Amino acid sequence: MSSHYEAPIRRPLIIGDKNYHDISVDVAAPVEGKANKLWWIAFSIALLAFLWGIGAITYTIGTGIGAWGLNKTVGWAWDITNFVWWVGIGHAGTLISAVLLLFRQKWRMGINRSAEAMTIFSVIQAGLFPIIHMGRVWNAHFVLPIPNQFGTLWTNFNSPLLWDVFAISTYLSVSMVFWWTGLLPDFAMLRDRAVKPFQKKIYSLVSFGWTGRAKDWQRFEEVSLVLAGLATPLVLSVHTIVSFDFATSIVPGWHTTIFPPYFVAGAVFSGFAMVNTLLIIMRKVVSLEAYITKQHIELMNIVIMITGSIVGCAYITELFIAWYSGVEYEQYAFLNRATGPYWWAYLIMMSCNVFSPQFMWSKRLRTSITFSFIISIMVNVGMWFERFVIIVTSLHRDYLPSSWTMFSPTFIDIGIFIGTIGFFFVLFLLYARTFPVIAQAEIKSILKASGEKYKKLRDGNHE
Amino acid sequence: MASNKKYWRSVEELKENSAIVDTLKHKEFLEEIPTDIFLGDKKTLETSSTTRRDFLKYVGFTTAAVTLASCEGPVVKTIPYIITPNDIIPGVAEYYATTMANGFDFANILVKVREGRPIKIEPNKEANGTTNARVQASILSLYDSLRLKGPKANGAEISWIDADQQIISKLNEIKAANLPIAVLTGTSASPSTTKLLSKLNETFGNLVLVEYDAVSESAALDAFEYMYGTRALPDYHLENAEVIVSIGADFLGSWQGGGFEAQYSKGRNPSNGKMSRHIQFESNMSLTGANADKRVMIKPSDQNLALIKLYQAVVKGVSTLEETPLNDAVQKAARQLMKAGSKGVVITGIQDKNAQLLALAINKALNSEIIELSTTKNTRKGNDADVAQLIADMNEGKIGAVIIHNSNPVYTLPNASAFVEGLKKVKLSVAFSMQNNETANVVQYTLATPHYLESWGDVEIKKGHYSLMQPTIKTLFNTRQFQDVLLTWTGSTATYYDFLKEMWNTEILVGKSWNQSLHDGIFINETVKSEVKSLEVDIDTAGAELSKVKGSDFELDLYVKIGLGDGQMANNPWLQEFPDPITRTSWDNYLTMSKADAAALGAINKHEANGALNGSLVELTVNGVSEILPVLIQPGQAKGSLGLALGYGRKQGLKAEMQTGKNAYKFYNNFTNFQPNVSLKLVEGEHEFACIQLQNTLMGRGDIIKETTLEIYNDASLNPKDSWNESPKVSLDHKEVEATSVDLWESFDRSIGHHFNLSIDLNTCTGCGACIIACHAENNVPVVGKAEIRRSRDMHWLRIDRYYSHEEDFEGDTKLKDSSKGVIGFKEGMDALEDPSENPSVAFQPVMCQHCNHAPCETVCPVAATSHGRQGQNQMAYNRCVGTRYCANNCPYKVRRFNWFEYPNNSKFDFNMNDDLGKMVLNPDVVVRSRGVMEKCSMCIQMTQATILKAKKEGRPVNTNEFGTACANACTAGAMVFGDVNNQEDTVTGLAEDKRAYHLLEHIGTKPNVVYHVKVRNIQEA
Repeated sequence: MSSHYEAPIRRPLIIGDKNYHDISVDVAAPVEGKANKLWWIAFSIALLAFLWGIGAITYTIGTGIGAWGLNKTVGWAWDITNFVWWVGIGHAGTLISAVLLLFRQKWRMGINRSAEAMTIFSVIQAGLFPIIHMGRVWNAHFVLPIPNQFGTLWTNFNSPLLWDVFAISTYLSVSMVFWWTGLLPDFAMLRDRAVKPFQKKIYSLVSFGWTGRAKDWQRFEEVSLVLAGLATPLVLSVHTIVSFDFATSIVPGWHTTIFPPYFVAGAVFSGFAMVNTLLIIMRKVVSLEAYITKQHIELMNIVIMITGSIVGCAYITELFIAWYSGVEYEQYAFLNRATGPYWWAYLIMMSCNVFSPQFMWSKRLRTSITFSFIISIMVNVGMWFERFVIIVTSLHRDYLPSSWTMFSPTFIDIGIFIGTIGFFFVLFLLYARTFPVIAQAEIKSILKASGEKYKKLRDGNHE
Repeated sequence: MASNKKYWRSVEELKENSAIVDTLKHKEFLEEIPTDIFLGDKKTLETSSTTRRDFLKYVGFTTAAVTLASCEGPVVKTIPYIITPNDIIPGVAEYYATTMANGFDFANILVKVREGRPIKIEPNKEANGTTNARVQASILSLYDSLRLKGPKANGAEISWIDADQQIISKLNEIKAANLPIAVLTGTSASPSTTKLLSKLNETFGNLVLVEYDAVSESAALDAFEYMYGTRALPDYHLENAEVIVSIGADFLGSWQGGGFEAQYSKGRNPSNGKMSRHIQFESNMSLTGANADKRVMIKPSDQNLALIKLYQAVVKGVSTLEETPLNDAVQKAARQLMKAGSKGVVITGIQDKNAQLLALAINKALNSEIIELSTTKNTRKGNDADVAQLIADMNEGKIGAVIIHNSNPVYTLPNASAFVEGLKKVKLSVAFSMQNNETANVVQYTLATPHYLESWGDVEIKKGHYSLMQPTIKTLFNTRQFQDVLLTWTGSTATYYDFLKEMWNTEILVGKSWNQSLHDGIFINETVKSEVKSLEVDIDTAGAELSKVKGSDFELDLYVKIGLGDGQMANNPWLQEFPDPITRTSWDNYLTMSKADAAALGAINKHEANGALNGSLVELTVNGVSEILPVLIQPGQAKGSLGLALGYGRKQGLKAEMQTGKNAYKFYNNFTNFQPNVSLKLVEGEHEFACIQLQNTLMGRGDIIKETTLEIYNDASLNPKDSWNESPKVSLDHKEVEATSVDLWESFDRSIGHHFNLSIDLNTCTGCGACIIACHAENNVPVVGKAEIRRSRDMHWLRIDRYYSHEEDFEGDTKLKDSSKGVIGFKEGMDALEDPSENPSVAFQPVMCQHCNHAPCETVCPVAATSHGRQGQNQMAYNRCVGTRYCANNCPYKVRRFNWFEYPNNSKFDFNMNDDLGKMVLNPDVVVRSRGVMEKCSMCIQMTQATILKAKKEGRPVNTNEFGTACANACTAGAMVFGDVNNQEDTVTGLAEDKRAYHLLEHIGTKPNVVYHVKVRNIQEA
């Protein structure tokens, strides 16, 4: 598949004087070495946040949804905001591993493993919310089409919330399989290097008996391709379906046909921002700068810039259509969104999502690690507010003015959100210490073509 | 198929000719059963140690022992009948006619009793009964866990026998000392009680009867007595009125005992092209003013002026007055009154005899047919002068005993401390009370009385209209009613029931049947009329006297809220949570103030981050008495006037949560609601209100409440669908069509079976809120408390939205919205529309689940917990609901209510559903919802199903207008009509197709089963 030749104009994807063995050593280092102090500090903070979240969730389930700041008019707020935010973040992984695989983008190889891990961990966070936001979580199985003694008692297939159940669970399972398939040769590498019997046992278990025969590799390539083909439509479908939660309703500000593409773009946007946030730190902490290069970050910044602009277009289109529709409820919903009591949330959304990515037009800025990191955080914040704005500002002032009210979160609302961030980082930090964080087998396949040393050697010969 | 199988019986069958086999062919057993040995042998039997008698004893003992042992099981709350009463069928409700009379509210009612438990109050329509929110809620006061459970002497429990003995001996001592015995009672209007009191007078002599109303109508009574010679209140026939001019009379509230909604609303229905014109002069924004066609806001002192000028204009024909807005309004009102002539009426709520005289004089001059002089009302009897005299006499030691009944003077008197001091100087003080209230705690003897639903009694609400009160449950506690105790004190051994029946048979029934009257709840003797003498009185001096009343910069106008009334039911959580129809604020009283005054004072109202309303605190001082009160800025409040509700601020005998607001009775000097010489000072701090409507205006959304004027409505040249009841249009294939005709869905055939509709007439709905409480009681709606209301989590299935206009009227709002062009203009227009006008037009709109045929909630529920019924209802399967709240988000009417917490059996919600007694009010036909499920109006499906089943059992079709819902049944004004639109005879069928009919938010295409009727205002000036 991969040829050993690459145009000299392309920048190398692996920096420095690396050979195959160096790659194995570099990737295995975080797993085989001991955790440093920084990891423990980060892990402790994440764990604390996670515990706070568990406490908040337990309290909610114990006393009722009244523990949150919701009311008769605003029936969803932070819960569904967090849900959509996490699902959105979970989009980058599949996009990178599946879509970029189909498009033969080799730069994905340095980042796809972590991006996929991020996807799975964030979808786990996302999946929590539809469950815990239920008033009677102990009956959550009602949303599954399980055969029952009532015979005809079935779920309501008209409900977008039910589509969500299928969309999210499909997405999680396909992502999981895809991720694990890619992990097999890498786990096998760790297994082969492991000296402690316990580690050896575990890694041989999770590598499913990978031997590295030619047949293994052939099947590996085939499965990857098939899964990529399966996962690609999911990238589009998951967030499309999530957007249906709003688009198929009749609430002014929700009932919008632009939502599916707008949500997908937003999801890719936020997903890439989160990948940037995580990898900028990770490449430094586990010394993988040679594999996750500035070029990777620059490319992701370009994706952020483009999707950010698409999202910006969608925002403007919404405003235009509201005015153009001539429907007073629609017009008021958007006027209120931009200038009502939650104007500050709209402003944060606009500045973080539409304006901040525009800086990426400048090459100097988009190749600056610090700046990229700052922008990635801003985009994360902005995308959280986008969902908050869509959900809360549409609901809090809808048709009948008599029911208009406001929403303000409680300690519990905040606790659950922080808790999921904690849970996410607990998972990610554990992952960083036990999993091969770079798809080393794939990286090795491009070493000769895109490795800096080899490129230099080859390009030198040509001169 | 017969079997060919052969069965072996013994090995003997193998032998040929066996004797045994032969024997067995004829006999069952081979050998004789030796029964004779143990039965025939008499000797053996007699020598046996167990005789037959012993044997029976053993059987008896073991049976009893086993039975006793089985009784050991824990006894839980339900106890089955050992002998089923003949008239009680479990699961079938019984209705009893009775009468409510608590001194403040008087109503002929039907009580729904389930398995011996009264659970619901309905108006006794056959007796012209009407119920307001308080009457509806009074059922819950029966199950008040803080009721007095037995008699007390000086705070310690005592037996009835001891109490009676001690009191009788003291009464005899007082009789010997020749001191008067004062009976201080609220208005009872009970002929039998009056007779009993005269018996008491015969026994102990020197009885002084003082009648006292917490909220006084003494001035009106005095004026009527002065003019017509009888101390009573006139009745009215507002249904026939063409022009109603009210000066400060909140007659849709509790003015003169209330009960005028029905007749008023009758006259407000424009279906035959005519409706009354209602002009209201007032200071506070009252429910009555909110319903008026023209509302003139003036200070209380100016109300006097307005009345004088109206008198001069109508009676004296003086019309040359200088041009002021008030004079202009008065002149217009006078012209209209004179034009209406005998169809006009003037009423006033000014608590001044002179003012009341002027109003009577105007009506007399108009020759008004609207005022009814001969069938007078007995709903208020209090005499302020008598009360003042009593307090003075008590303090001078001139009174021997004070017996208080149906009254809580220590709470309601402005000079309560003087009364308490006076009580210490009397030899005997007795209070009959249902609650451990302020008065009950300062008297020597507190005698626990039963609730009116546990009592016998009679009430003459109107002259000649005798109502009977009968118990619907055995007394829950060790209580005895006032009349029974009086009988004991007078030495009689008869029960009050005997006394009552005897008296009715001899004095009231004139040969008619007692049983029939008890069944009907009322006996009307048309021949009994008040003696009305038309006395020649000097009205001009009254006017001159009235004009001397001085105003001041700030004037306080004390009023009574629909919810709590005079405050006697303050421990009733339904009433506490009942949002005031005007301010929509619950759990509080507050100082209402105009925006201009508040701005000048620096007082503000603001919203917290979660929307909850907060208000500044001010110190109000009247005649040296001060109180710190929160300010609520009230559109329509006359500048310079302040409103404050009586009935709040009670502390004793109430659960902590119910101790709301501040006691305003201490400002109720001279028993008049108008208090001049008020000073105000802004103080530090903020008050937290529990307001359930945070946006007060309609934002120019004229399709939510449609309005028109009588003139336009009567214009036959207009097609309603294109003009005043315009239906929304959409473009379909580039053609404009009615929005409702465009449909994505395939419709069901709804012509078979029943199809329910609820019609709500915005014209006749006064916003009184009786339906809210009726719904509360019928559907076991939980009370959530002040803190939860502040979080916008009220649970009412039915609410009455109140909107103020930003411009003079709602049409102006719509015009302003339509003329707001461009982004900036739109923004400015919308911002402006958020603020109500200084004197806004007001509209009420009851909103409950609209039971959409294309319900947005139904499509989004992932578990199909909410689905459509065959009869048009949108139904909730609580057991299936997982609580995603998606349905509530997608409901354009925001009528769905989520159980944020477990409301029953939760000490954090210490209301009626948290104690065993309070739970007795629950309707067994409606499930109590658990936390985490969505609930909402069911169109009282338990009632419609019961009606269908009843008809089915009786083998007949359901009768015309037989279906009902709690709200429609409670609607005194007749604004809510429920029925089956598949029955052409049902009233609702016609209403649903009326030219005034429209659906709320029609353009969404939800096709609701609730129909509204366009509000018509009569704005024609004469």
